[in-house]
Amino acid sequence: MNDELIETFLAEAHELIVDLEKALLQLESDPANSEAISATFRAMHTLKGSAAMFGFQSVSEITHDIESIYQDIRDGRRNLDQQVLTITFQTLDHLRVALQQQIHTDPEFVSHHAALLSAIKGLLTSQNDLSAQDIPKALNGVCTYYINFEPHKNILKNGTNPLYLVDDLLVLGHGVCHPYIYELPDLASIEPDACYMGFELLLATDKSVPEIQSVFLFVEEQCKVEIIKLGESDKLRDISQTELPWNNRQDLLPVGVDAIQAFIKRTGVKQKLQKAVGTQSRGQKANNVRVSADQLDDLMNLVSELVTTQARLALFSNEHNSSELGSISENIEKITRRLRDNAFTMSLVPLDTIVVRFQRLINDLSKDLHKPIEFKAEGMDTKIDKSIIEKLTDPLLHIIRNSVDHGIERTETRITSGKSAKGTVLLKSYYSGANVLIEIHDDGGGIDLERVRQKAINKGLIDPQTSLTEQELIDLIFLPGFSTAAKVTDVSGRGVGMDVVRRNISDIRGEVLVRTKRNEGTVFTIKLPLTLSILDGILVKVGGTHFVLPLTSVAKCYEVETSQMESTYNQWITLEGKRTPFIYLRREFGVADQAPHLSQIINVPYNGTYVGLAVDRIEGEYQAVLKPLGYYYQQQQEFSGATILGNGTVALVLDANKLINKLTIEK
Amino acid sequence: MSKTVETLTSYLSFRLGDELFAANVSKVLEILEIPMITKVPRSPAFMRGVVNLRGNVLPVIDTRTKFGLSMIDDTVNSCILVLNISLDGKDIIMGAIVDSVQEVLEIDQASIQALPSVGAKYNTEFIQGMLKLNDRFIMILDVDLVFTAEEVSLLENLSEERITTV
Repeated sequence: MNDELIETFLAEAHELIVDLEKALLQLESDPANSEAISATFRAMHTLKGSAAMFGFQSVSEITHDIESIYQDIRDGRRNLDQQVLTITFQTLDHLRVALQQQIHTDPEFVSHHAALLSAIKGLLTSQNDLSAQDIPKALNGVCTYYINFEPHKNILKNGTNPLYLVDDLLVLGHGVCHPYIYELPDLASIEPDACYMGFELLLATDKSVPEIQSVFLFVEEQCKVEIIKLGESDKLRDISQTELPWNNRQDLLPVGVDAIQAFIKRTGVKQKLQKAVGTQSRGQKANNVRVSADQLDDLMNLVSELVTTQARLALFSNEHNSSELGSISENIEKITRRLRDNAFTMSLVPLDTIVVRFQRLINDLSKDLHKPIEFKAEGMDTKIDKSIIEKLTDPLLHIIRNSVDHGIERTETRITSGKSAKGTVLLKSYYSGANVLIEIHDDGGGIDLERVRQKAINKGLIDPQTSLTEQELIDLIFLPGFSTAAKVTDVSGRGVGMDVVRRNISDIRGEVLVRTKRNEGTVFTIKLPLTLSILDGILVKVGGTHFVLPLTSVAKCYEVETSQMESTYNQWITLEGKRTPFIYLRREFGVADQAPHLSQIINVPYNGTYVGLAVDRIEGEYQAVLKPLGYYYQQQQEFSGATILGNGTVALVLDANKLINKLTIEK
Repeated sequence: MSKTVETLTSYLSFRLGDELFAANVSKVLEILEIPMITKVPRSPAFMRGVVNLRGNVLPVIDTRTKFGLSMIDDTVNSCILVLNISLDGKDIIMGAIVDSVQEVLEIDQASIQALPSVGAKYNTEFIQGMLKLNDRFIMILDVDLVFTAEEVSLLENLSEERITTV
């Protein structure tokens, strides 16, 4: 069998499983969601078909029966109960395993497979006949109405607020409202307490016309109400609200029932057409093209090369005073920048691709720990470089696990402290400059700083005499070997803790910050760069070689006399009245040529304090396109990569933390 | 694909000191003049540094030092062989500085002789074979091995006499 085809199948299958998981989670909270049910059915159906084609027998076997169950549910022949849902979730986990090709002979897998299969078969035979009235009447009796509500001018004088009436209408079902002005006198003759407005509504509800009319019971005399039935079903679900006729109008007049009716008819036809075109065009996915990650990486590399070449061209054109060359170079610069931005956005993926896993984790934990928890996610359309997302999942899972396990209190404790019984975990993400911020909020008990302190003392991490600020106490949880859980649970507190989280995050050039308040909760903030391939830094020179130091590790720069550093026998220097350890890079890098009279010391944050890095010269800010140094320099961890300067030479990118670490260990 | 590569019978010969070596042309991507090299501090002595190869960073090895010969200054004839070597199935592109490039030889596989295992001055592990051409011996290198081994001294026994003649 063609390997490439199998790979495509596997990639698709994994996507289907993610879709499936999403749909199932929806069903868990809303079992009557007909869309999620058909999505489940469709995914199972597709999986079955393609799995059989590629010889994944176990996958097609197991999806076959599940598919029939969901077909019955979809057609209203059975109810979706907890048992079905549990088994579907198990199937999902099983499918993930089954997609590994080698596993099929594994005895454990085979027995699990058989057990699951018989459980599903059991579900099929135990199928209870549903009588017609048991079918959830989700959509039964819903009609769509056009309502024109035009209050009289003097309605406000009676203390009636027409907006409340509109609200009353909208709670009957769901709908949209469009206000209009029917008469607007000159500014001179306008009466400030008169109402010149009316409202057009589209309402989908299962209530009857008299019930709708009853909303206007007390204002019948003071308004004109028109209620016209548009159709027997929920038309609002089919139409896009931004395309409604009143959105294209320049004036403020009502559009009238005829225009609305015509519009709904039009969209109805359009939809039928879309359905006829085929099932492949499912929503937005229709316009996407699948590109392999390798190809994308290639594109990124080429763009980076173009950026460097363009920098050379710009340099060259500056040296040669030709206006034509200058304008060509400028043009290329513009195009390159656009191409670069374009290519970078392509390798960005939205966070919601990993959110499903968190949802699942929280659901499971909530059951295991008997803590009812609501998981909310905001801003999950925020996009980050795909290579960052891959490395982000584990740290996030760990933090969320901690929030649920240690953060959210037991239900009794929550009630006595006057909180709602249900805990909340909020995952929130947004852009901030060239960074992406991801926050994990919990409304739990907050971090008990006194306990943190005691624990750190017991573990010998701090001296009992030292007084620490609140922030310093919080930072203790990031120390290796620190874990505050009083008892070791299955969930968290295995000793591998926050230190690993911080390290993983700093590997992708991010930071972790914590804010906590007793009884109100804790917020973990992860600050990440948008992309890993471009780095903001400062360009410095040591001897004849250029280095780039990431801006994140630059706190402050000082100018000092070189002789001052050469004469000290210990590596300390006084900066702004503060004794600071420093590293004389000329010496460490074995530079032999004549040192300049003045040197620069760059203060770098390191383990909560500062260390100075002494360089010859600071050239300025620099945006570096990162290139790996590769196999031959894998021992030189203190250089995270290299970048190509405008003049075509190579500058090395320093990892200040690792450099300081290495040098201090060597001493 | 690697199979077709191995059957290629063209070899590029180059000089290090007085010795002639050859590498299969399938391994040689191009030959460069020596540009400005950025030295990476605190790296092994045989690593000369990195250069810009059309926007990519190319690590460059000083082949003389790597092979255990004495170091000399670069001359006008010195150049970088850009090699594509494989390590555990992965391709690595690197540069090797040699004293000068000689010529491309078409070599009949049958004329490649095995290195005598006893009394050879070279470490046989890194030599695929040798070839006699105009009364001179050309050592055919296994570039994959020789440039990925942690520490290589190509010379089996570094005798005093040997060093002085180089």
